[in-house]
Parts: sequence; C-alpha cells; structure tokens
Amino acid sequence: MATTTTYQKSEWDTLHRNGPFKLKMLQITELEGKANIPSSVGRYNDVAKEIQRLIKDAQDHGHGFRAYGSRWSMSNIAHHPDRMHFNSYMNIDIPILAGEVHANSPYDSSNLFFFECGNTIKEISQALGAHGKSLKTTGASNGQTIAGCISTGVHGSALDVGSVQDYVVGLNLIVGPNDNDIVYLERNTRPALSDAFAQKINARVIRDDGLFNAALVSLGSFGFIHGVVIEAEDRFLLKRYVRKIDKNTALKLAKTMDFKNSDFTIDGETDANGKGNRPYHYKIFINQYVEDDEYVIEAMYKKPYTTPYPDPFTTIEKSVYRDLIYLLIKISEKFPSTIPWFIKRLEKSILPDVNEETLGTLYETFWDAPYQGPAFACSFGVDHKNSARALKLLTDLTKNEGPIPGIFAMRFAKQSEATMAFTRFPITCMIEIDGVLWQKSNKLMSLTEFSRRMTEVLQQNNIPFTIHWGKNADWGFPGLIEHMYGDNAKTWKEHRNSLLSPEMAELFSNDFLKTTSLSNVLVPVDDRFIAPIV
Amino acid sequence: MQMTTTKWLLRLGTLSIFLLFISCYSVKLVSTNGAPNPDPNNDSDDDYRNKRVIVLDTVIKAGTTTDAIGFKTQRDGCESGKLHSVEYKNTLGGSLLYLITFGSKRKVRIKYVCMKPEN
Repeated sequence: MATTTTYQKSEWDTLHRNGPFKLKMLQITELEGKANIPSSVGRYNDVAKEIQRLIKDAQDHGHGFRAYGSRWSMSNIAHHPDRMHFNSYMNIDIPILAGEVHANSPYDSSNLFFFECGNTIKEISQALGAHGKSLKTTGASNGQTIAGCISTGVHGSALDVGSVQDYVVGLNLIVGPNDNDIVYLERNTRPALSDAFAQKINARVIRDDGLFNAALVSLGSFGFIHGVVIEAEDRFLLKRYVRKIDKNTALKLAKTMDFKNSDFTIDGETDANGKGNRPYHYKIFINQYVEDDEYVIEAMYKKPYTTPYPDPFTTIEKSVYRDLIYLLIKISEKFPSTIPWFIKRLEKSILPDVNEETLGTLYETFWDAPYQGPAFACSFGVDHKNSARALKLLTDLTKNEGPIPGIFAMRFAKQSEATMAFTRFPITCMIEIDGVLWQKSNKLMSLTEFSRRMTEVLQQNNIPFTIHWGKNADWGFPGLIEHMYGDNAKTWKEHRNSLLSPEMAELFSNDFLKTTSLSNVLVPVDDRFIAPIV
Repeated sequence: MQMTTTKWLLRLGTLSIFLLFISCYSVKLVSTNGAPNPDPNNDSDDDYRNKRVIVLDTVIKAGTTTDAIGFKTQRDGCESGKLHSVEYKNTLGGSLLYLITFGSKRKVRIKYVCMKPEN
C-alpha cells in the first residue's frame, strides 16, 4: 500500500522564495515497492486509492487540498493554507499497448505515452529517449513536473509547436473520494486511448472537447491530476546559435515571424535560394538599461537525430558568490540608480555568450536550471504583431518608474486550444522580465506595484494581453481575468462546475483561484456543460 | 602604543578573514543524466534547496599508511543507491588539521544528492 507521511507545518514557500505562505500540513506520498506490487498498473491504482483517502480526510476536516510538484511557480497558484500534497515521488510510466489505442485515434500509437503526475520533464525526456522519442517542447528547463507544467501553461519558445499542455492528449483525474471519481478525460474528436485502458486504471471515460480543453490548463483546480497521456515525436537534435543582431531586424522578426525575407540569416540555415530557414525556437534578450543598436538573440533549428555528435555539456561551470548578489540587491534597494550598472556588470552571467553554438537533443539543450537565490519573473503574453510596441511600453515603464533589478526577454509560442491558456494569440509573444527579488523601499516600488503598472500600461494602450499563471503579477487587479479571457473564463468555470461536486470544487480551490474570481460556483449548470459519459 | 596595537590587530583580523574566505572553496561533480532526489522539506538557500542532500562532515582518524578514505552511500535518503551530485568542500581549518597532525586526522566535508527513485 502506498504510504503518506504528514508533516505539521507553519509555512511553505516556492522554490524561488516568493512567499512564505502559511501552511498547516504537508503530505508526501510514496508508492508501494515493486517487491510487493510488481505491476506498474497495480502500483498506480494502489496510490490512486491513497490519494482518494487523503481527499476524503481533507473533506472530513473541512480542509482544502492542493497538489504540487517542483514548486517552480512564483505566484501562489500552487499554495493552499490547509493541506498541500507533494507528488514528485509519484513517477510511474505505464506502457500503452497496441490494443489500448482508440480505434479512431489520429495519433501514431508509437508516439503515445502515459506518465504519472510527479514525473519531471527530465525523467520523461529520458524515458522517451529510451524509445527514440522526444517531447515536442519544454518550459526551457527540465525540473518541473508534468502536472505542474500543464496546470500553469508552461511554455518554451517553439514558434510552431506551442506549450507543454498542447501535446497532452489524455488526462486521468481524481475528482473525489468515491469509486466513480476517477476519470479518464480526452477529446471526443481526437480520442487517444481505448476504454480498455481506462478500465485498467479504474477510470470512467469522458470524451468531451470542451471539458478537456478547460481541464488542460486547470490551475490545479479540476481535481488531482494523476496521469497524463502525451503525444511524443521522433527524437531530434537542436542546433543552437547565439548572435547579436540589429535591434530593428530582431523586432521585425518578432512582429512578422517572416524569417524567409529577413536580413537575418545564419550560414548553413538557409534554403537553396539563400533565404533564411524558419527556426524551431527564437528568443530575444533585452537589457533595457543599455542603449545598444543590437540585441542578443538565440535561434535553434531542428535537425534529424544522428550520432555521434559533440558532447553539448560544458565540463567546467563557475558560479558567482550568491552573497555577492544579495549584497548588490541590498545596495540597489537603497540606491536604485545603481541597478543598471550592476546589471551591466552581471550581463556575462545572465546572457548567453554571443556566437555560442551547440548541438543536442531538446533535453540536453534545455537542461537543469539550478536555484540561484530569491527571484521574480513577470511575463505578459501579447499577439506577436504587437510585440515591439508592448516591449517599448514595458521597458520604458521599467526605466522611468524603476529601475527594476531584472532584464527583459521575448519568447514565442503557437496558440493553445486550452480554454485558459495564456498563449491565446495565433503566435503569442511572451514578454518577460526576470531578475532578483527585492524588497520595497522608499526609493523602489514593490513587485506587486511594478506588475500592476505593467498591467495598467498595456490596458491604457489597448494592447490585448495575458499573464503567465505561474509568474508574479497583481492577480487581484480589478476585472483582470475577464479583461484577458472574456467569455473563456465563464466557459472554464462552467466546465469545472460540471466535473466537480460543489464540495470538491471548494476543496480544490485556493487563494489564487479566489483572488482571480475563478473559484465561483455558477448555478444552475447549463445542460451543455454536463459531460457525456461515453 | 595602544593605537599601533589596535591597528595591527585590525590588519591581522582582516588578513585572517581574507585567508578564510579564499581558502574555503568547493568542487562539485554533477551527473548529466537522472533527476535529483527531491526533498520538499529542504528550504535551504543554496543549490540544494528542494533536494534530499546528505552531508558527511566529520574528522577521520587515519594511520600514517592510510592513503585513501572511502564512503558508501547511505540507504536513508539514497534509496536508489545512485549518485546525482557530489560536492567536496575544502576549508583552511581542514588543511591546517591535516598539516598539524601529519595526516592522522583528516577533515571530510562532502555533500551528495542521490538519484530520485524510479518507479
């Protein structure tokens, strides 16, 4: 039997120390050993029962319950003050046999894989690698758990791919403590697995496009995500280039995504006519405090997987004394005018080396992102056509009302089908500022004030935008969710109501959901949103 | 006279702090494969945050003929028995102890993280 250890706590914090937040109880579940339950399906079903027991216990005590994985989110989206469940040890993968693929599945059966919630991107990448397969994209790192990634819409900068949730084709949710509360959910129009597979994991099947799309980016509140079915692809290599290019060329590319007719080309990455190829990944780095005619950009091109290729890992890595960073930030709080100078000095540690070139798999290219001290990140999604204008507004704000100890970057991701995905534009440009967490002083505004001003400036200039769910923002900004998502927010809530009982809707809600007014239970539920049981 | 003594003490203190600072360093070997064993209760403010780290911080008595000292991974916190990272830290105190005792006492400070158990 899977076992859960409960720790009485007083507080909990994110990996990047964006809290602390109050917490009563931390629960950690570990699976039964293979010696006692040899089958992975047996252990998976065994731990499902344990999760249901924990949900029942939380319900009996009038507590809320929230699962989390690697605690990478910087907002309080993963937090609940009552009970938090650490699910990283729940890392089974279950093979999908040929007969377990749905008869109408549009997917190549060899690309379908089932992973338990606590598998990290790194673990999944290695498991897929053993089959000659790869994830389609990641969040530009590999430490997040798969359930955490999809719940918050984690993205990389794969222009024509999308975010992590966009290759998830099935979800196994635990929506309550009762026998019929284990659900296998997938799209009706694009089913992936057969009913036989669902029976194997004791799940009732729901095939509904609307509900599935709503549950994809669930903000952790459509029940406990126990397992996901992903669509992988054949393993590939990424050739990565770092260049410094004309600022206007870089921004024009962001606006047009027209790499074919751009002045920007890389030797060997052109077509027969010498026109630039479309990269898999495109990213712009912007130090807003430096007047420079050029920006550092990173472009990656997909290549077939062939061996041998050079070791993509650098053997020796040096790190800056963390105490030095803390000292700089303390000085910055007292004397904000020093921030641009400090950032310029640290530029070498922050930005990639110009003219750097590497070749590796997706997993090797976006490797570990180690903890480097308290950090913040604000990330706004805009239509890529508005990216240059939005960047100018946000960098001007940062310079004029700051300075703020961070630098900007732009990444790009294809539109998601998920109802509440922040990648909701045809190609979303995520304009993000990352940096060292600071304390408000009489000369430096707080992080919440800064993020509020960013929201205000985009609103005032009529630029439609979204905000990354897992990053810092003034989430209580009046009417924020409706402004960003319009009717989609209502649709999302209606689908949530259709899936969860009112008691479970409350149990799986948290302060983040309440702040954003997404926890509201809508009554009566429209018949359209009662999910069919197929 | 008192001023001169204070000045020298200050200089000596500064030099000692400088020596301590530069003589304390660490070297870390990290595997490029496998995920580190997580520990949600580890809230330390260093690279080991959220990781299950095992610390060996001890003084080993060694004979004059002892060449190397070996350790095995412990079961508690290292169920996989596989290493993800190993960090060796050298301190001025450790070096001095080795010199003063002619190698019979050796300060060992190692931190290691094992691989996350596979299921």
